[in-house]
Order: sequence, then C-alpha cells, then structure tokens
Amino acid sequence: MKDSETLDLLSFVIGRARANGATAADALLVSSDDSVVGVRKGEVEKIHRTRSRGIGLRVFRGHSQAVVSTSDLDRGALENLAREAVEMAGETQPDPFAGLSNPGPGSLPDIHALEIHEDPPRDIPQEERIRLAIEAEKAAFGEDPRIVNSEGAEFQSTVTHVAMVNTEGFSGSYARTLYGISCSVIAREDDSMERDYWYEQSHYFRNLAHPGDVGRHAGRRALSRLHPRRPQTTTCPVLFDAEVARSLISHLVGGLSGYALYRNATYLKDRENTRVASSGLTIREDPLLKGGFGTRPFDGEGVLSKPKILVDHGILRTYLFDSYSGKKMGRSTTGNASRSLGDVPHVGISNVLVEPGTRTKDDLIHDMKRGLYVTELIGFGVNQVTGDYSRGAFGFWVENGEIQFPVAEMTIAGNLDEMFQSVVEVGSDIRLRSSISSPSLLVENMRVGGG
Amino acid sequence: MGREQESSSSEVMKFFENRFGAHEGVLADILGSAMGRHIDDADLYFEYTTAQSLSMEEGMVKKGGRHVSQGVGARILSGEKTGYAITEEIRPETLHEIIRTARSISLGTEGVSALRITPARRDSASLYPVSDTDLDVPLSLKKELLLEADSAARSQDPRVVQVMASVSTEMKSVMVVRRDGLVSADRLPLVRVNVTVIAEENGQRQTGSFGYGGRIPFSEVMGEPLRHAAREAARQAIVNLGARPCPTGSMPVVLGPGWPGILLHEAIGHGLEGDFNRKGTSAFSGRIGEHVASSLCTIVDDGTLPHRRGSLNVDDEGTPTQRTVLIENGVLKGYLQDRLNARLMGAAPTGNGRRESYAHPPMPRMTNTIMLPGETDPEEIVRSLDKGVYAVNFGGGQVDITSGKFVFSTSEAYWVENGRIQYPVRGATLIGNGPDVLTRVSMVGSDLHLDPGVGTCGKDGQSVPVGVGLPTIRVENLTVGGTA
Repeated sequence: MKDSETLDLLSFVIGRARANGATAADALLVSSDDSVVGVRKGEVEKIHRTRSRGIGLRVFRGHSQAVVSTSDLDRGALENLAREAVEMAGETQPDPFAGLSNPGPGSLPDIHALEIHEDPPRDIPQEERIRLAIEAEKAAFGEDPRIVNSEGAEFQSTVTHVAMVNTEGFSGSYARTLYGISCSVIAREDDSMERDYWYEQSHYFRNLAHPGDVGRHAGRRALSRLHPRRPQTTTCPVLFDAEVARSLISHLVGGLSGYALYRNATYLKDRENTRVASSGLTIREDPLLKGGFGTRPFDGEGVLSKPKILVDHGILRTYLFDSYSGKKMGRSTTGNASRSLGDVPHVGISNVLVEPGTRTKDDLIHDMKRGLYVTELIGFGVNQVTGDYSRGAFGFWVENGEIQFPVAEMTIAGNLDEMFQSVVEVGSDIRLRSSISSPSLLVENMRVGGG
Repeated sequence: MGREQESSSSEVMKFFENRFGAHEGVLADILGSAMGRHIDDADLYFEYTTAQSLSMEEGMVKKGGRHVSQGVGARILSGEKTGYAITEEIRPETLHEIIRTARSISLGTEGVSALRITPARRDSASLYPVSDTDLDVPLSLKKELLLEADSAARSQDPRVVQVMASVSTEMKSVMVVRRDGLVSADRLPLVRVNVTVIAEENGQRQTGSFGYGGRIPFSEVMGEPLRHAAREAARQAIVNLGARPCPTGSMPVVLGPGWPGILLHEAIGHGLEGDFNRKGTSAFSGRIGEHVASSLCTIVDDGTLPHRRGSLNVDDEGTPTQRTVLIENGVLKGYLQDRLNARLMGAAPTGNGRRESYAHPPMPRMTNTIMLPGETDPEEIVRSLDKGVYAVNFGGGQVDITSGKFVFSTSEAYWVENGRIQYPVRGATLIGNGPDVLTRVSMVGSDLHLDPGVGTCGKDGQSVPVGVGLPTIRVENLTVGGTA
C-alpha cells in the first residue's frame, strides 16, 4: 500500500468514527513484510514469508474511550468497527484525564537522516539468503569438533510501515528495514550438552555483520559452557555481561513509567531528583539515534521525540509519561507513548543508552577478584513494586581475577534499589545491539543460591 | 451428542465458505496444486477471531476493546523442510499465491492432482459447547461485575490501595484443510477474568493477582467467581506485606496443588516436545524407557478435559487431541508430537500440533500437563518439612531445553520449621535440572487440583493457552534463590 493510500484509509476510519458520534479519534496502521530463511545442518529447513497489516482505532466520546483493531481492511468492515468502537465508548466511564495528546509545535525530523530505512529495501535473492544462513552455521561447526548439533541458523529481513493520523490534525508515517542473522548450536562432550546462540542485526543490509563471525561467536559461546559446575551458596560480587546488563536497565526504566507511578506500582515512586543508582551510572534516552533499534520520529501519540537524560550520575532526573499518565501526575508527556494496534497507549522507550566507563570487561573481571560473571539469565522473578529480584543464572566463576570454570543451576537475588546503588564499575564495552544498550555492570554484592 | 459436534464443524465450514468463498471446489483446486513427489504434507489454516475486553482501575471502567483478526496460513512440508506463507486478504487468488510461495521450499516440478474434500468425522461431543450467545454479555453487565470486584477487594482489607481488573472473551473459528482432503473445523471459545491488587502498609507495597478462565460460558465467571478472584488477590497482597527475605540454597520444597504444576510444564513438558527430541537437542533426547522421575510420578498431557483452557477438540493440524502418558511410575514413556515430527520420528501424531494464529506454522506444544494424584494426605506432606519452603503460588517459569535447567518463581510461599508454617517469604526463584528434579519427588498428595485457567505458554515467539495440574508434592534438594 502506498503512503498516500494508507493515510487516506486512516482518514476514512477516523472520519467514520466522527460521523458516528466520536468527539475525537486516532488511528494507526502497521504493515510488515517479513521473510525468514532457516537452515539446519547445512540444509534449508524453513522458508517463511509473512505479509501482514492491521488497523487500530481509538475513539473518544468526551472523556470516555474505546479501542478496536482489525486485520480486515475492507471499508465496509472498517465502517462497522468504527461504529462499534463509538458504541463501546458510550459504555466506559468518563475519565477527565483521557484525551488526545496535543502534538505541540515542531515538525517531524528528516526521516532519512534517522538511518532506519534502507530505501529501497535491498532485493536479496533467495539463494543469497540461504547462503548467508549456511555460512553462519558452517562457521559455528567449524569452530570445534565438539560442536555436534544445531538448532539452525537464520537470515531474516523485515520491512515495517507505521502510519498514524488523529482528529487534531496530526498525520505522520515512517518505514523501517531490519536485517538479521542468528545462529544457535549445541556443544557436546561426554555427558555434557550445552546450547548457545548469537545474533546480529542492522537497519542496512550493507552494515550487517559477517555471517561467519556470527556463527563462530555462537560456537565459542556454546563451547565455553561445557561441563558447568554448581557453585556453593554464597554472597559475592556479580558482574553482569553487557548482554544481560540490558535486562537490568530495562527493570529500572520500567519502574519510571507514569502508569506505575499513579498505580503505586513501582519501587521508584517519589524518587525524582534523588539517588537511584551509584554515581557511576548515567542513563540517556535518544529517540533520534541514527540507526538505533528503538529510533522513531514520533511516539505512539504523534508527539515529536527529543533526547533526554533519565539518570544523571545516579540521580533520577525524570519519569516517563505519555499524555494520560502525565496529566494524571500533573505533568506533561515526555514523548514516551508506545502504541500497539489493539490497545490504548502506554509508556515505552525508544533507545536507552548507559554511558560507558573506561575500563574493559577483562579489567572488571580482574577487579572483582572472586565472584560471579553472569552471561545468561532466565525466569521472571522480578517485582517492580518492591524491587525484589531473583533469577536463574548461567555464567562463569571468577577467582584471583580470572575466569575459572562455567557455572549453572544457580540463582542470583537482591533488590533492584540496592543493586543499582551498589554498581561499583561500569565497563567500556557498549555496543548498539537492541533498543537498550549497556556495557557490563559490576554489582558489589548479591546472594547466590547454589548447592 | 456426536451430531452436535459435526453440525458445529460444518457450520464453521459454511462460515468460511460464505465469508471468503472458500468452498470445496476452491479448496480442492488450491491444495490439488500442492502435489508432487517431493511434497510430504501440506495444509491451509483458516482463522477468524473476534475478541472483546473491558478493564477497570481506580474504581473506573476506563477502557473497552474489540478486536477482529482474520487470515490464512499455507504450509508445504518436504522432508524436514517447511514452507509457510500467509494472507489476510482471503480470496482464491491470494490463496493460490501463498501456496505457491510456500511451495518454493520443495524441489521438483509442480504436481497437480484431483482432490476430494472430506469433512472430518468425529464421534464425540465438543469439549466446550459454548455458543456466541454464551459469551455475548452486555457491556453494562460486565462493567458492573468489574466494579463489584473492586469493592470486593477493597472491603477485604483497608490496606488495599489499588485494584485492577479485566474481563475478556474470545471466539476463534478455525478450519484446517489437509492435502489428503480432510477438513477439520472448530470453534474455540476462551474466557478470562483477572484481578491485580496492590496493598500498602508503612510505606511498603506488595501485589497479589488472581484470575479464572477456560473454554466456558461467560456466566461461569460472573458474580461469586470474580468476587472470589478479587478477595484472593487481596489476600495474597496482604500476606506478602508480612513477607520476610527467603532463605537461600538447596533445601526440601513442598509445592501446593494446582498452578505450582508449572514445575511439570518447565521441568519436563518442553523437553518432551517432539521437535527438540527429533533434533536431539533436548536433555531428554533418546531417553524413552529410562527412569527420569521417582516411581510416585505419573504425568500426562491431556487435551481432552472438558472446558479447560488448554483443551482442544482437534489440534491446529486437524489431529484429534488425546491423553498422552509422558511419564508412568517414573519411567519416560512418550513425546508430544505434531505431524511433521511424528512422521520424521516414525511415531504417531499425539494431537499436540498447535499454533498461535494463522500467522504461525504449528509445532509440538503442551495442552494440559498434569501429575496424577498419590495417596498421601497433603497436610502430612507439609508437616513432614523439618526446614524448608512451602510454595503455594507462582508467577512464570522458563527452561533451557538443552541443558535441562529450569526456573519458576514463587508469588506466595512460606518458611516451614518442624512441620509448622513460620512466616511468609518474599518472592524467590527456584532452579532445578529437568531430567533429575522429579527423581527427588519423595511424597505425592491425594489432592490433585487443576490450575484456575489463566496459563499461557511461549515458545519460539508463539503464545498458546495451556493448563497444568498438580497434587501437593515434596521435592528434595531444590535450589531456592532467596536473599537471606
């Protein structure tokens, strides 16, 4: 669908909502074209092609709202859905803070300068896609004879179009391309069997990592986990590898949501301009970061996005709001509305970046002397209300400042508030791999549960 | 009763025929083009789903939603290869196009042959005879129910400061047309209510959450069940206000009945799915016939339980569901199979080929995973704990299939000494090794409970509704991830 057709269809939808009695409305169209080629043990295993699109419509009757979504874009069906949405908004209760966001002054940034859309998307023949995936897996197998099995390697490309209009006159759209290579392999020796994976992604095909590097890295990671031991239960420093430090940052940022604030559902309530982390930690948000995986020209309510500092040398500088949660707390939106087709906006992030330190990960391992270096976490034992944290961990045991052996079947536990206050070192190893980027983080002490 | 099922199935076929022109001639034509020496299997999966939700917080019903989702997935299987393509614009031309795209997986020339479309015959009644009218409750009534839940939670205890509640209903019509011409159709109702409460005391805050659901008429959650969910969520939040740090390390753990069955789902269920075992990537690969649990343990996956959230009349490949014995008296008996993995392993499909929606190809998934009851009095099991954790409610869990390491996290648990409950403990993650954790099950209670019907399982980016069931059990030497 062309951009003009898309915006036309959305205007039709909000027009029908209006005609049926809505006082305001916004509508969103997301379409994507996704192609995945998977290989396993050198043979093609899957070819998936998913072309999908859907419309989400939010309507207001005064301060009452309802939201509808559909993958049936027939105009007759859309007309019916718009009418049902308005009827439903007649049943929900008026909430004085509910309403469209005032987009405010300013014009949309130059979308090409954001470097998230390869235009036109690279036309990559199927044989080439297969070759890239095979090369990644082959490199993993070539790493060591103990790489004996594979979950496969994939090459994926996705083009996504997002368009939005509202009855306040906002109209905007953007596109995003994404290319990715991933590889997951299994190392085996005697009775020990371990799986690990690696992936790389980029908005531009030409910037995508070499498939051989992805495969070799996956292979090395799986090998390094063979013959894990179970550590004794203890209290010790824990070094979070950059790959898992991201999740830690996501818990902190999640606690900054305006919704969590007014619901009393965050351990970070009433903490603005106070210390929420050690002074070594500075966290920024940059919605316009060139090539960022969370980059977007406007948020889920059409508000233009601006860079900001969230945590400045450990001091919390701002919570995150969309229009509704901002009004509830007597504040304005911070441009952090996130919108999916089937729901009203909520608070989300674009790109979150932890300011890197000067010391390498190896320096940090050396500094911690004895402790746990965590490379993978599983489970959902994180409570945003209390900050209580308890997850399953995999990694390596460190003695005398050096990695000794892999460890598994253990837990690490603490409280997010205390953990962030006791980040004693921030590594230099930051890489842009997802919407949250963090270097490795060394936490002074955590409880480790093992044998 | 058998007739009722058949008529519902042919109604669904009629629906797709009327709405999208998917009549027998078109289907025969499209799948007839999916022939050829290199093609082992093929199917088309039609879906039309409508869902409605209403949610409340701060004593206000703030939002309502209605969602329509429609599409068709085409799949071609050739050896171990899968080609998959979808369309949301359902017309004969687009159906031909997706089957062509999916075909690109297979080598060889295009084969075409005449196909006879045969509606599947099923003799049993539907496991969930729930009609649209059973789900179609006026919004004003749902609104009232949500506000009732609010007052039920708040009147439970003045420390309740926030109540969030939601009700949702879904009706999914599906039709699977296989390359052998067999057509299976079904209508899948799904109802869910949920209440989350935040309680506060002396600046400390805690949450509690409870819900009910299943393939049931909406009337079954109205009134008392929803009020009970609200009181239960409030009770959990209040209990947790008094929680102390949980001890850490390896210790005996008693799991309460019902939802703690998530242990089975994570520790053994995923590891017994056919795909991982065909590829030899599961910690359970090649271990059929071995002792992987104590002889007290018999575990089944049962997709045939009436009205349960994880139940299906037929799976998403048209295979009737069944009760599959996974572990019998401690011995590993079988895997969970879809058609692809069953064919490649020389086994029979077990009715576990499931998919989130038309946008996803099926894979082996659990339905309702249950440990059968033993003979021990559950109170005796708790009393048997010298020093250990008694866990009665859990949040989510996760597993590393290859190494077998799995976790699940408590949301309500108690420290027990000398057989007596001492105090509630704060949320802790429990970690174990799937292939040996059940060998340390030392007691199995007589009190099998199924979970309340709100479980969702994620695998490879696809979510499907599932159930679990467990009697009270005692497990030796489980690692508890506390802070004390």
